[in-house]
Amino acid sequence: DATPGVGCHLHPFSVTIKSDPRGSCRSRQTVQACVGYCESSAFPSKYSVLLASNFKHNITSVSQCCTIAKMQKIKVHLRCGATRPETIEVFTAKTCQCDVCRLSRY
Amino acid sequence: PKPPSINLQTFTGCAVREFTFLAKKPGCKKPVLKPPYIEAHHRVCTYNETKLETVKLPNCAANVSPFYTYLKAIRCDCGMCLTETTECETA
Repeated sequence: DATPGVGCHLHPFSVTIKSDPRGSCRSRQTVQACVGYCESSAFPSKYSVLLASNFKHNITSVSQCCTIAKMQKIKVHLRCGATRPETIEVFTAKTCQCDVCRLSRY
Repeated sequence: PKPPSINLQTFTGCAVREFTFLAKKPGCKKPVLKPPYIEAHHRVCTYNETKLETVKLPNCAANVSPFYTYLKAIRCDCGMCLTETTECETA
């Protein structure tokens, strides 16, 4: 894969989608992710931050992260071997933006 | 017992609410992703190698030490924002 350049952009990648952990029905599908760079900086903390953190947080980091702004549902047809095919809906990224850094969402 | 559900449009006060969270710890297998299947890897530009620098502030009261020590960056790198040492702000 090419290294993402400046900015936060849609980035296609291929995933295997399974109907269950065993993968009774499955399919390869290209979905969009958001990959790239947003601005972040770190500097010595203000005195008020030092006081509030008991002099532990002597660095302050201010950042935005490349994240999904809008998502889209797509229908994926799964092949199930001998039995009839199944259709499930999965999400793919539609637009990306630099926004609040969030942890993974399960 | 299950706490009673609360109508947030009318309720004022402080009460127990039921919520779900993801329990995980090192040494236990990563949980299976559920919709909307988002996994984030967010690294930020922060201090990697540092040096303590001390400056002398002018016009300090007699009972206040005029010396102010701060961290100076020698090298920066992309990494997780470490909450032990860093005030992590995001907007």
